[in-house]
Amino acid sequence: MSDHLNHDPAFSLEEALARVDNDRETFQMMTELFMEHGPKDLADAQTALDAGNAAGVTRSSHRLKGALLQFCAPAALLACKELEESAKTGNLTHGAQLYATLEQELQRLLAALRHVLDKGIAA
Amino acid sequence: MPTPAAVTTSPTVEEGGVHTVLVVDDEPTARMALAARLKRLGYRVIEAGDGKVGLEVLRRERPDLTILDWMMPEMDGPSFCEQVRQDPALLSSQILMMTSHDQPQQIAEGLARGADDFLSKAASKYEITARVQAGMRTATLIRRLEDVTEEIRRKQEVLERELQSAARYVESLLPAPGTLLPGVQMVHVYRPSLGLGGDLFNVVPWNDDVLGLYLLDASGHGVSSALRSASFSTFLRRENLLHHVGSSDPGAILTEANRLFPLTEDGNYFTIIFARLDVRARTLSYATAGHNGALLHRRSGEVCWMAKPNLPLGFDQSTTYLTEELTIEQGDRLYVLSDGLYEVPASNGELWGQDRLEKTVRAFGDCPLSEVVSGTIAEVIRWQGHEHFPDDVALMGIELTEKDFHERSSEP
Repeated sequence: MSDHLNHDPAFSLEEALARVDNDRETFQMMTELFMEHGPKDLADAQTALDAGNAAGVTRSSHRLKGALLQFCAPAALLACKELEESAKTGNLTHGAQLYATLEQELQRLLAALRHVLDKGIAA
Repeated sequence: MPTPAAVTTSPTVEEGGVHTVLVVDDEPTARMALAARLKRLGYRVIEAGDGKVGLEVLRRERPDLTILDWMMPEMDGPSFCEQVRQDPALLSSQILMMTSHDQPQQIAEGLARGADDFLSKAASKYEITARVQAGMRTATLIRRLEDVTEEIRRKQEVLERELQSAARYVESLLPAPGTLLPGVQMVHVYRPSLGLGGDLFNVVPWNDDVLGLYLLDASGHGVSSALRSASFSTFLRRENLLHHVGSSDPGAILTEANRLFPLTEDGNYFTIIFARLDVRARTLSYATAGHNGALLHRRSGEVCWMAKPNLPLGFDQSTTYLTEELTIEQGDRLYVLSDGLYEVPASNGELWGQDRLEKTVRAFGDCPLSEVVSGTIAEVIRWQGHEHFPDDVALMGIELTEKDFHERSSEP
């Protein structure tokens, strides 16, 4: 998947806002929080992957998945789930490939969120 | 960035005050989203970033509902639940476990380890709202139950103290064991079934040679019976008997008592034996009203059950109670007792009965009176298999000791 560009929207702003009852202030704070913590979780997954630490990959991807659920970002969520499920089996053979997909989708999502923030989400 | 345990409050107040929800999740974005939703629903929200901090907050704040992530560093959700269920102060806490894995075996494990319900991390806002409200309803009911239980416990403590005080008063009415008159010894045991009993016995000193003895049993148990017995015992005081009856004749006393103490509106009544012991004349005169618990164990070994079949007090105002008379000798022993002593069931329901009581008294023979009394009680306890008597138990043993009794009765 990482070799193919995904042209679908990274996330659904409409659905994400609906999850928080269109509370734009809360959504903005969540987005800022995710832009701070999401990359850290991804970096933790990378560190664990490099160390062959499957449990660490599982923990980091699990945390990241909890955040992704809030943004209605299907591609990033799917990539994250696949990495978590793979790591949970203890087998990291496909870890690097799954991680690369996740990284790509996460960057797409972060860029989309940054764009929304730059435009100004708070009504 | 949220602090490890942050408190935020919405101004919305629900019936009974603002309810509090503790959200324990190490992932800050999801935690913020859930906290915001809960605040919009009107709850006070406390956030904790891991299980250990969450447990501290739970102990300190006692929230109405805890929403808990499964997978967390330091302490995961199921371990959190186990600790809560092992802590008597926390075990009734309502816990809603969040998980992104909806596998039945995982849900079963979570419930088995102490969660009350599950919430998928992917749940819609409608499901989140419904599950939180369901959890809050349960939490509210449990709180009410705990409050009512605590109130009942406090009231029970007050009642227990009052009962103990009343029991001490009733016991203060009982005679001191020992020498009643020169040559007359008495030992007794009193075991009320509820801490406060309706059985009462006493000694009425009449003059240097004569004393009255009675054992009365108010039907029923507890406070009402004890109050009625205490009231009756006032009637049986020497001065009062002289005033109302004008003699120490047992039959006359019970006939008058029958007139003064009719059946209550609830159908309660008294049984009684009243005896008059004259050490100079060597006579035991007595009257009974529905009371079977009295036997004379003569020094010769003969056992004489004294009761006559007749009505308890209060059933028929026209009843005349007759006085019976026995001669007594040195070494004779009189046992006056409540029916609660021998109407004691074994585990198979069989009653101990008067025959076993008589055999027990015979078996003890001329052992010291205190041994006979305590040994008889021990035998009944052995029969029923436990210490708690289902009915009030009173046993009074009176012995005409040989030397003094002989000297007094032979005086001119």
